[in-house]
Amino acid sequence: MIKKRYPLYYTFPALILFGIFFMLPVVSSFMFSFTNWNINRLFTPKFNGLKNFKYLFTDEYFFLALKNTVLFACLTTGFIVLLGLFLSVLLREGVYGKKFFRTIFYLPAVLSLIVVGIVFSSVLKMNGGILNQILDFLNLGQLKRDWLGNPDTAMGWIMFVQVWKWSGFAMAIYLAGIQGIPKDYYEAAIIDGANKWRQFKEITYPLLASSLTIVVTMNLIGGFKVFEQVYIMTGGGPGNATQVLGTYVYQEFSKGNLGRSTAMGLVLFLIITVISSVVNRKLRQREVEF
Amino acid sequence: MIKKQCVTLLLSMLALAMSMIILVPLLIMVLGSFKDAASAQQFHLSLPQKWHFENYLYVIKEGGIGIAFINSMLIMTFVTVPVLIFGSLCAFIISRRAGRAGSILYYVFVLGMISPMQVITTFGLLKILGMVGSYQGVILIEIAIQLPWAIFTITGFIKGVPRELDEAAFIDGASPLRVFFQIIVPLLKPIMATVLVSTAMASWNEFMIPLYFFNSLKKSTMPLTVYNFFGQYASNWNYVFADLVLTALPITLLYLFCQKYIVAGQTAGAVKG
Repeated sequence: MIKKRYPLYYTFPALILFGIFFMLPVVSSFMFSFTNWNINRLFTPKFNGLKNFKYLFTDEYFFLALKNTVLFACLTTGFIVLLGLFLSVLLREGVYGKKFFRTIFYLPAVLSLIVVGIVFSSVLKMNGGILNQILDFLNLGQLKRDWLGNPDTAMGWIMFVQVWKWSGFAMAIYLAGIQGIPKDYYEAAIIDGANKWRQFKEITYPLLASSLTIVVTMNLIGGFKVFEQVYIMTGGGPGNATQVLGTYVYQEFSKGNLGRSTAMGLVLFLIITVISSVVNRKLRQREVEF
Repeated sequence: MIKKQCVTLLLSMLALAMSMIILVPLLIMVLGSFKDAASAQQFHLSLPQKWHFENYLYVIKEGGIGIAFINSMLIMTFVTVPVLIFGSLCAFIISRRAGRAGSILYYVFVLGMISPMQVITTFGLLKILGMVGSYQGVILIEIAIQLPWAIFTITGFIKGVPRELDEAAFIDGASPLRVFFQIIVPLLKPIMATVLVSTAMASWNEFMIPLYFFNSLKKSTMPLTVYNFFGQYASNWNYVFADLVLTALPITLLYLFCQKYIVAGQTAGAVKG
């Protein structure tokens, strides 16, 4: 009955498009990562076992990119989780012009990363960038520097851009979650004499668990895939200070080392899949039904 | 009571300070786009002494914005419509078939949301199909990338639509397609609006795919013109800013007018799924 009423072949248009233009390249890259594929051997790749992976694990820049990517994903996710929570509680607790602020906070989420990346390149410029202007204004001129040209600060600012872009999105997910919490829980708490902080700790925070799962998972995945803002703002430099897997894959690709590049893509895929499913499972365990 | 108002005022000031962090960089962009080259380069948060509207004319003429705008619009349309139709049809089946087939399909598409795109093999695929540098190639890849999210979101929504509605129609002898188009689709309007707006936005903002798979300037999209312009006119920030504004403006307007659908849907899809 079900089979006749809901025929599987209705899913075929979507499945075929997705299968050919997304899954096929993903799956075949698994195979190519075990070959000596490069631009001169485009149609005659030869099996070379684990050589690409062995090479990767002796390549210090690969480890640097790996380290940067993991740091980037974890730190930005942490900040976005906290800042988003803060913004949502701020709007929830009542400010004047709530709608205006919600609109502004969410705005970065709809802007193209290219636009955001270039705007921040101007903000962080050594000569005249607004950040250095502000430091001058505050009489902190000695702190001025070329923020993106300095290996110690460049990564931090690329992370800042990610947090800038996605905190409002996290806020909106939390706000939707808060809306789903029955009002009488708070009324009961107030009758029992619980203050705002207790209310947040005992009601809002635990009941937001499912929103938290989504914010963490989405931002981790997005963080591991980071490419565009690094590409635009520093190109992985200065030196290799801001090299992440996304840009390193692209760099090896441009050099024509296709096998090596796909091997790296595979490593990235495995990391994302394993980490996001483990984190997702862990977080789901602490969700409560209400 | 007064105390409460004071707190609200204080919190509002805090919110204002935080929104400044978002607005100041964007204001520098907008104001700079109306200045002359020398003063745009100072990045001051000040009104232009003279409004140089001709910056925009220059950018439109020199940056090939006209063609890029049409390209972006075309790609956006040909990506969004199939994603909506095929995505909702697929979500309909997935959400109604609780058995193994339904859940396998569901997880296949979830994997599509997690996995990063494999650029090189995709490039190889397009090469075999003779689609490198073509509109079809870029459009098909964008459709494939957008589908999982659309299906995920719509599936979550249809699960909330009572099955009894389908049941009644089936008993009256309606075909599956008829049930889908006459019963389900009308109920899907809010989530369809969300998927429509979000897919259109994502396609408009897409940078990596046209960067990799178009290889001529003639076929550039709006974000690509920005990139090319940034490389070429790095010292003429007034032009760069004008191009940025032109790229961001359509999306920002869409956002301001359809905010309800975007925010509610992007988050509801995530929460219900």
